[in-house]
Amino acid sequence: MSMDLSISRHWRLRSPLYRLEGARCKACGRVHFPPKKACPYCGSRELETVELPKRGRLISYTIVYAVPEGAREYSPVYVGLVDLGVTKVVAELTDVTDTSKLKRGLEVEAVLRRTRVDGEAGLIYYALKFRPSMGVPDV
Amino acid sequence: MPGPRAGIHGWGAYIPAYRLPLSEIAKVWGWHPEQYKGLAVEEKSVAGPDEDSTTMGYEAARNAIARAQVKPSDIQSVFFGTESKPYAVKPSATVIAQALGITPYTMASDLEFACRAASEGMRALSGMAASGLIKYGLVIGSDTAQANPGDVLEFTASSGAAAFVIGPEKGAAAIIEDSVTFVTDTPDFWRRAQEPYPLHGEGFTGEPAYFYHIEGAVKALFERTGLKPSDFKYAVFHQPNGKFPVKVGQDLGFTMDQVKDGLVTPMIGNTYNASALMGLARVLERARPGDRILVAPFGSGAGSDAYSIVVTDAIESKKTLAPTVDQYLARKVVVDYSFYSKSRGIILTIK
Amino acid sequence: MTSFIEGVGMVKVERHYEKGLFDLAAEAAFSAIDQAGGASGIDYIIASNALGEVQDEQLDLGGYLASELGLRGVRSLRVEAGEASGLAALAIANSLIESNMADRVLVVGVEKVTEFQSAKVYRHLQMLFNSNSRSFYNAGFAADAGLLTRVYLDTYDVDRELLSYWPALMHSNAKENPYAMLNFALKPDKVSKSQVMADPVTLLDTFPLGDGAAALVLSSKDSVNNPLAKVSAIESATGLGSMELSDDPLTIDSLTEAYRRLQNVTSFESVDVIELHDSFTIMGILTLETLGLAPKGKAPELIANGAFSINGRGPVVNPSGGLKARGHPIGATGVYQAAEVALQVAGRFPGLQVRGAKRGLAISMNGLGSNSYVALVEGVE
Repeated sequence: MSMDLSISRHWRLRSPLYRLEGARCKACGRVHFPPKKACPYCGSRELETVELPKRGRLISYTIVYAVPEGAREYSPVYVGLVDLGVTKVVAELTDVTDTSKLKRGLEVEAVLRRTRVDGEAGLIYYALKFRPSMGVPDV
Repeated sequence: MPGPRAGIHGWGAYIPAYRLPLSEIAKVWGWHPEQYKGLAVEEKSVAGPDEDSTTMGYEAARNAIARAQVKPSDIQSVFFGTESKPYAVKPSATVIAQALGITPYTMASDLEFACRAASEGMRALSGMAASGLIKYGLVIGSDTAQANPGDVLEFTASSGAAAFVIGPEKGAAAIIEDSVTFVTDTPDFWRRAQEPYPLHGEGFTGEPAYFYHIEGAVKALFERTGLKPSDFKYAVFHQPNGKFPVKVGQDLGFTMDQVKDGLVTPMIGNTYNASALMGLARVLERARPGDRILVAPFGSGAGSDAYSIVVTDAIESKKTLAPTVDQYLARKVVVDYSFYSKSRGIILTIK
Repeated sequence: MTSFIEGVGMVKVERHYEKGLFDLAAEAAFSAIDQAGGASGIDYIIASNALGEVQDEQLDLGGYLASELGLRGVRSLRVEAGEASGLAALAIANSLIESNMADRVLVVGVEKVTEFQSAKVYRHLQMLFNSNSRSFYNAGFAADAGLLTRVYLDTYDVDRELLSYWPALMHSNAKENPYAMLNFALKPDKVSKSQVMADPVTLLDTFPLGDGAAALVLSSKDSVNNPLAKVSAIESATGLGSMELSDDPLTIDSLTEAYRRLQNVTSFESVDVIELHDSFTIMGILTLETLGLAPKGKAPELIANGAFSINGRGPVVNPSGGLKARGHPIGATGVYQAAEVALQVAGRFPGLQVRGAKRGLAISMNGLGSNSYVALVEGVE
């Protein structure tokens, strides 16, 4: 069978990947992403689902030329550490047409894009990536 | 139109950032400028390597839902009209519905009728909403239009999306007063199932297809409603290039003033399912309460719809709830043929 | 309670296309065994390896290694903790000895990273990070180092060029080491100009892809004959290993805790030599600063001015050339580090020897510190 990417792994993570769903600890109040089964900060299992804001600010970024297999068409891959207020996420950046705009503090927003494609006949994986903000509202 | 009506509660569009000047295409394939000047298009929008009709449709839909000011879970039908589906089998509608929080209590399907599939979806939703079968429905028209490299179609086949939330007449920003569809079996442009690019009949796509069906639909609408061109503030037509919509408008008795605001193709090319609908979105972003809008999408194969849409008081507050067509038009970066060919996968590579 | 290193073996880190997992493991293991006076009395084999499944389609490496080494029947286990597998294996071996479950343990670290083209290996190496966070993107294995380096430069207002003295020092040290993969000198100004991996991290800031194997025989006090060195203590801790979860990404949380635990079980004032985990320049810098060997934001400057070099102030860091120049065969690296420190404190390191070294640390971690190990290795006599 000509398939390298797992169907179920991506499918299980649709909520984090499509909607930035994270977890908030009811014991200590901290939020983390993607959701774990216990709070990585205080250890409590009392967690609730929380959707993170889809807009934030860049803390750091990198431009990847050592791209892994299957990513040549996306090279260079831009990756950012984004501050969403309640927590931070590391995600791919997209629509970076002017690299001089990439700097700490840049406002970025999450939009759905392709991340990996399994050859000619396999699955297409989608996930949220961040791009310089245009003001697309959260729904 | 007798009976309950439906209306547009929210609209949204999406245009990728990249623009390919037509001169770049001409350089590669040896076209003389006079051969494409008549298309009246400067640049065409190009989807980036991580974009497809699903991702573009997602953003247009997000904008539409924001303007509609409804909860995604209130949407009970998603129609995705496209002729560039990422999968032949596996609906894009469900990816978008999942990503926007519309699932699971919703209808969902991808529709095909060349460039008018989304418009068929809009008509279907207006019936479903007017009858109360659903409260709100979402229709998306989205294409990364394909053209055989070196064919004249390559000049105008571009990428973009438009989306609308259709719901009851009450509370709508614009009411669908009436609508009509006119179709025949006219094979002006087609793409065989396993083929990457369409073929078309060149001149045959004009009179027998585009003009005949749009005029058929619009005249039928005029007859049903008693409306005439002067009753409309705006007239938005399917726009495969910058010339056809102006000509069909003229032929039907509309002025350039009525047509110009709904024209997007001269700036970004033909976004296929988003063609007329993005023109409608742009018009809604400048229309005033009471304005009447004619919208006539067309799809090859062939058929056209004609809508009479009347704007309400609710429109003003919605205009700035999401980025506008003009904002997407302004967000542009000029690219070359090599970016376009890599981005649109027309370079042969081993995956 | 301590365990004793009796014999060590290493293979030059290289693209060993002609050698597979078992070939490499045997070369290192036989050296170690022979130096330790033979295989009799070996109760356990603890193998360390991270990519055996994906590179070589091999599970239960520990089990099969026993027969491959002519030690059928010996108890065996493969330990995996990503890049920290080697010291994790040493920790397990040490525990077996300390708890009297074993008298002699063969520790073998082995790794192949060249069975596939590099783009596929980059996808494999991406697994060193949290898969839920990273699998569905194309960040590769150097992006986190890139993000972290930029945060460092921004936070402390340090010039990128100053970081380049680290790879230069590593190369200078490795030139003497016959087991090092990269034996050429490097001028600092070449570093920022080399191929970008994940801006601002370049190829010369990054460990090279190379296969390798290292082994040592660990013995209890009662079984040992001719020890090279002793493992006085080894400790570890897990951490967030993630920039997005960490409140202070410039401090390696698991290393702080592992080191604190080490200091709880054994006291030492200073060390003469440290083999630490410079998978990327930034990780070497942050290790020094996390341990308090350099003030925050100052390690690059200190390195540039000669600190931590063979003739400079402070413990000598990475006389082997470190992960940068000796190389980093992922799961095997920790065993190299332990073997190197053992040879240093025995006065028998075949490369740059730290004169009079009596006490050394081996420090290994995975990724940005999901797991950190610190071993204190001291001379005997």
